[in-house]
Amino acid sequence: MRKIQCPILIILLLAASSLFAEPGYMVRTSDLMDEPYRDANVLIVLEEGTPVEILKRKGGWLEIKAEDKTGWARMSSIRKGEAVENPDSETETKGVLDLASGRAGTGNVVSATGVRGLSEEDLKEAKFNLAEIRKMESFTVNEKKASRFARKGKLNVRQLEFLPDAVEQGE
Amino acid sequence: MKMTRILMILMLTVISTVSAAFDFGQLVKEVTKEKPAESTAEQKPPTLADPGGMLGKTSVKEEIAIGREITGRLLGASPLVDDKRLQMYINKVGAWVAKQGRRPELRWHFGVIESDDINAFAAPGGYILVTKGLYKRLRNEAELAGVLAHEIGHVIRKHHLNILKKGKLINMGAGLLHSKVGTDQQGQAIGKMIGSGAEILARSLDKNAEYEADRIGVVLATRAGYDSYGLPTVLQEIGHVGADDSSVSLLFKTHPHPDVRSVKLGDAMGEKFDQYEGRLLAGRFYKLK
Repeated sequence: MRKIQCPILIILLLAASSLFAEPGYMVRTSDLMDEPYRDANVLIVLEEGTPVEILKRKGGWLEIKAEDKTGWARMSSIRKGEAVENPDSETETKGVLDLASGRAGTGNVVSATGVRGLSEEDLKEAKFNLAEIRKMESFTVNEKKASRFARKGKLNVRQLEFLPDAVEQGE
Repeated sequence: MKMTRILMILMLTVISTVSAAFDFGQLVKEVTKEKPAESTAEQKPPTLADPGGMLGKTSVKEEIAIGREITGRLLGASPLVDDKRLQMYINKVGAWVAKQGRRPELRWHFGVIESDDINAFAAPGGYILVTKGLYKRLRNEAELAGVLAHEIGHVIRKHHLNILKKGKLINMGAGLLHSKVGTDQQGQAIGKMIGSGAEILARSLDKNAEYEADRIGVVLATRAGYDSYGLPTVLQEIGHVGADDSSVSLLFKTHPHPDVRSVKLGDAMGEKFDQYEGRLLAGRFYKLK
């Protein structure tokens, strides 16, 4: 059984790798590299707005297909989904905020599938629930247990400093 | 030795102005009984944690009491998902990541709540909740760790606590000054500081606080041994959700847009994290149906 399954599995996997490709687009003009390293070769420069197919991730790099080429670009230069007509992040964000604060209202917005949301109104009216907070606290894990959990997952502690505060100017 | 410490702290608290609602004398006695006092920000003087340093120190017990009240109210609006293994799992991941933040005086509490919205909440003192809606979108333990690490960042930097202290001029009168920790009077004092229900959680933090929590988040997740890109991946994923989808309306109201956060975080990270091989742990990730 297994002898027959293996080759089939491999063929399926090879065929399926392109099925897992997710559409995306460049949010800024960036280099497409032949390997996921800064000093690799530049295959082509991809302009902001160029549609891409995201294949996989390695660290902070995404392997993508774009302009008939396959290569690597920084994850932060790529956004998932279809490119918008005018990728002006300023207006995009404003539109979202307008929608959320104004027209969306503060009532219990229920989507088409009847999901239960948590609106601002819900939060305002919220009453303290002692049983629930105690229940939450009953699951608290101490450091020893956490360390054991980490060991089981082979999570190795690394030492590194916090990132320096970015200089936020006129934001 | 103990008396000198108490005297010193009493002097400092007498000098401090706002948040005079609590009985410092009483609290101080309890605080000095415990071991390490609250740690200050790591490596450098606090930035957003205590701008100006004029707000006076809030004891750990006060901080926890405030956070517990807020969280208890949030749970009143949206209870915990009734799944023991889920709750235990998120606490294990959370506690491990929180350990890397080095606030050993706190006991960290995590939970997943019933809401189908996409959101996560942090309250002072180490209470962190994630909605079921967000949890279901996560694909591996590194992504969960990233989300929790961001929230832990808020607590480490006391972002919510400082909003509360800045926003409210508490004029409680002499009576409440002598209220004991955990009493109704203290509850009332906290109540006045927090406002109605858990509305504090419906307000935005300074957007720089969000960017800071993102930056802290990726470092904590990396320290904890996870793939460094869990949080950036989640941001990408959320950014993909349509802005008019009700599940993100509160999130988008209280946070900068995920796409903006992605770019800022990506720039801040640069290539510094490429050297770290971290774990995704998709296999161990507890999936919700």
